[in-house]
Amino acid sequence: MTATEFALRTDGVGKRYRRGWALRDCTLALPAGGVIALVGPNGAGKTTLLRLVVGLLAPSTGTVEVLGHDVTASTPQTLSRVGFLAQDHPLYKRFTVAEMLRFGRACNLRFDQGLAERRLAKLDIPLDRRAGTLSGGQQAQVALALALAKRPDLLVLDEPVASLDPLARHEFLQVLMGAVAEGGVTVLFSSHVVHELERVCDHLVVLNHGRVTLTGDIDTLLAEHRLLVGPRTATDLDRAGTVVEAVHSDRHTTLLVRDGAIPAAPGWQAQPVALEDLVLAYLRRPSEPSAAVTSGVAA
Amino acid sequence: MTWLIWRQHRTEVCVLGLLVGMFGIALLVLGTQAHDLFPGGPARCAGEAGINEDCAASFRRLDEEYGYIENLLAGFYLVPVVIGAFLGAPLLARELEDGTWQLAWTQAVPRMRWLAAKLAALAGVTVTLTALFTAVLTWFRQPFDAWEGRFQYDAFDVEGLVPVAYALFAFGVATAAGAILRRSLPAFGVAFGAFLAARMSVALLARPAYATPLTTMEPVPVGGSKDQAGHRPAPSFADWMIEHGYADATGRRLSGTEYYELEGAANRAGTNLNQFLHARGIQQFEVYHPADRFWTFQLIEAALFVAVAAVLIGVVVWRVRRRMI
Repeated sequence: MTATEFALRTDGVGKRYRRGWALRDCTLALPAGGVIALVGPNGAGKTTLLRLVVGLLAPSTGTVEVLGHDVTASTPQTLSRVGFLAQDHPLYKRFTVAEMLRFGRACNLRFDQGLAERRLAKLDIPLDRRAGTLSGGQQAQVALALALAKRPDLLVLDEPVASLDPLARHEFLQVLMGAVAEGGVTVLFSSHVVHELERVCDHLVVLNHGRVTLTGDIDTLLAEHRLLVGPRTATDLDRAGTVVEAVHSDRHTTLLVRDGAIPAAPGWQAQPVALEDLVLAYLRRPSEPSAAVTSGVAA
Repeated sequence: MTWLIWRQHRTEVCVLGLLVGMFGIALLVLGTQAHDLFPGGPARCAGEAGINEDCAASFRRLDEEYGYIENLLAGFYLVPVVIGAFLGAPLLARELEDGTWQLAWTQAVPRMRWLAAKLAALAGVTVTLTALFTAVLTWFRQPFDAWEGRFQYDAFDVEGLVPVAYALFAFGVATAAGAILRRSLPAFGVAFGAFLAARMSVALLARPAYATPLTTMEPVPVGGSKDQAGHRPAPSFADWMIEHGYADATGRRLSGTEYYELEGAANRAGTNLNQFLHARGIQQFEVYHPADRFWTFQLIEAALFVAVAAVLIGVVVWRVRRRMI
């Protein structure tokens, strides 16, 4: 696999603020094409990682390579290949929507004004309104239209739907997925909401306490993990080191195991695991430096 | 970029332009009338207040009719800080407080180019507006300068080069404070405070020390009253008096108490004070900067403030370059 087939590669990336490390030892290789979800609780370091990816921050350690280029170089060519939608989709509040588009045109090498206008017209967003007077959902749509008009190869979105109501959230994801379907763009977005991811994402990165705890192709991850349910037992079952989590109820023990391990003894049943349960199980694990699980990058 | 900078900062530029324009036109109108009091030009009457009858009359009318404006002019020493801080404070702070820095710096314009364009444009507006206003004010003050010299605080601080340097200093402080505090209004406040503190300490402490002042020392004249003793041949009205007083025959300066003791002794003896002092070999001394040092001092002070502004802008550039914001 050549470098350009990766949308994003990080090697030992860490970021330290004055108050401490926000991100440590982050090594990722995310394939180009498709939708990548970055999942983690608030404060896990998602925003820091995304800002490093788009070059807004410089890493304290390690290197970040986007579409085969070091992002810290920040040349107009590399900048124009990456679209970014920051948290709370900031816009110049006093600009009209038309002026926001003019801003995009003035500050980019390629900017598809017609595309942006068509998208906004379809959503009934008037061009002569000031951005600050639009609803939250409309502001998000304007910001998305701006980012998509760059025709980026990588589109990075930080919690794009967190502040939107359910209807606006649905519309936003619809537009986003429509753009993905049109092809050519890799989408990397962060979220602290896990459900619905299965439907829209191909790839998953779980971040917790500033460390990557799980990364892989979603189908592969689901195929690799099984829930084993059997009679309650207190003995150490993790002989092979494949048990991600063990939950004991009054009569049963439920194990989440990796590598498709088969039932260990009679009386045990294997079940597929839901994505949300899988993510939660990894988030509940105590953070250890070497706990990252990688799977199916080249699958 | 040009369009973007104009669109983002046009409100500040227009408001400041309007204020400078209004005050400037008012000063031009009033200044024309004040200049008309001096048919030969105010410079010809410089130092002639007590000698030339016509000049004396002109100065008297100037004081009566326009003296109140001169007092108001002192307030204009705030013009540079208003212009500089008003343009500098929002440069980075507004992007940081609205989150739009993430929008601005992820377009295809690299952040250093973005910053360079913004700094150049807004510093340029700061210099232009301040220079225009200062030019008008310097011209307006010509008759007053002919009367009082240019070294007083209400002349030196609003004329020539230094107001532009003060404005750049305020611009630098406001921009740097905005980058660090991430808020426009506190950044404006910091610039205002720093401006007042720096200007006051420089004017009071540093400025007299830009060069070694000259000193004259001569015996107290026998004749004339104490008031006429104020007639000094060496330092003229336009020089900047730093210190004056009395010294004994050896040149040792007398303290206030020593002088009052002499004055009391003269009164008790019932003799004329000047004769009394003269008889004891008391001398008058004066420490001053001559008027022709005006431009040297302007250059030194302007360089001082521009250098600090450059350092502050350097800090901003360094922070943005290192992606600390």
